[in-house]
Amino acid sequence: MTDIDDLRSKFLDLEFDRTGFVIDAEQSATVAKTSGETRSEFIDTTDPNFEACAPILASLASGRRLPIDFPKLGGISMDGGKAVACIKPVRPGIKLTGKTHLHDIYAKSGRSGRMIFLVSRMQLYDDSGEHLATTDSRQVIRERPDK
Amino acid sequence: MTVQTIGDVVFGDEITPWQPDTSLQATRSFAHAVGYSGSGRFEDHSKARAQGLPGALVPGIMGMGFLTSMIHRWAPRGKIKHIDTVFRAPVLADHEHTVTAVVTDIDEELGEVVLDLTILNAQEETRVFGTATVHLPIA
Repeated sequence: MTDIDDLRSKFLDLEFDRTGFVIDAEQSATVAKTSGETRSEFIDTTDPNFEACAPILASLASGRRLPIDFPKLGGISMDGGKAVACIKPVRPGIKLTGKTHLHDIYAKSGRSGRMIFLVSRMQLYDDSGEHLATTDSRQVIRERPDK
Repeated sequence: MTVQTIGDVVFGDEITPWQPDTSLQATRSFAHAVGYSGSGRFEDHSKARAQGLPGALVPGIMGMGFLTSMIHRWAPRGKIKHIDTVFRAPVLADHEHTVTAVVTDIDEELGEVVLDLTILNAQEETRVFGTATVHLPIA
């Protein structure tokens, strides 16, 4: 059985990926419109306050999903959820840097066995180093009984 | 029902439930815009079934979009500070779903409201749940 405390001590809070992004205004507006958004600052690219919507921030993927030396846990991996913290408006067209670390590792046991949750946190910064937003990706792995 | 300031918010209030567009056309457009297209799982029922899925899916983050859209309609001057969504079970494209939210906390000094969020299918089974913290003008 995977030792969760060991994984936490070795991997939490260590940056393992740094990726650059530029959000396209039209793509963000499409994402917002197809989600049913009605506010101008999310769907009208000519709005002076136009900003990237939360789902497109959540879609930004780091170059690596896990640290390079993270052990293979086996089992079935699923997308367990996403979170977005909006600190400042993210304007499309600007250069963004996403710095990613493992924010949390925990397990839950149920009738069908143990599930391991890996929470990858990406902090998004602009070119001046200002922290604009944070996204969390929750990966769920159903542990194999023999692990 | 909409709210303009924190003073308009009532603890326990339910935001008017909403049926989002889960059509294949919508999921296809969304998947294309976020770079999820190509596998067919969000675009084509038969291709999704061939992958062992019950049908084409609504992307998980599109569910987040449904929730943020509902919050923005409820609070036209509100800013979502944080939203956390748990993908409990697949949301199927071309199936009716209902998006709901309930006010579970109000901080009048900070102008912040906490909402419990849910996406239910037609059988009223929870597919997505989560929370959001929304900032509203104090006056």
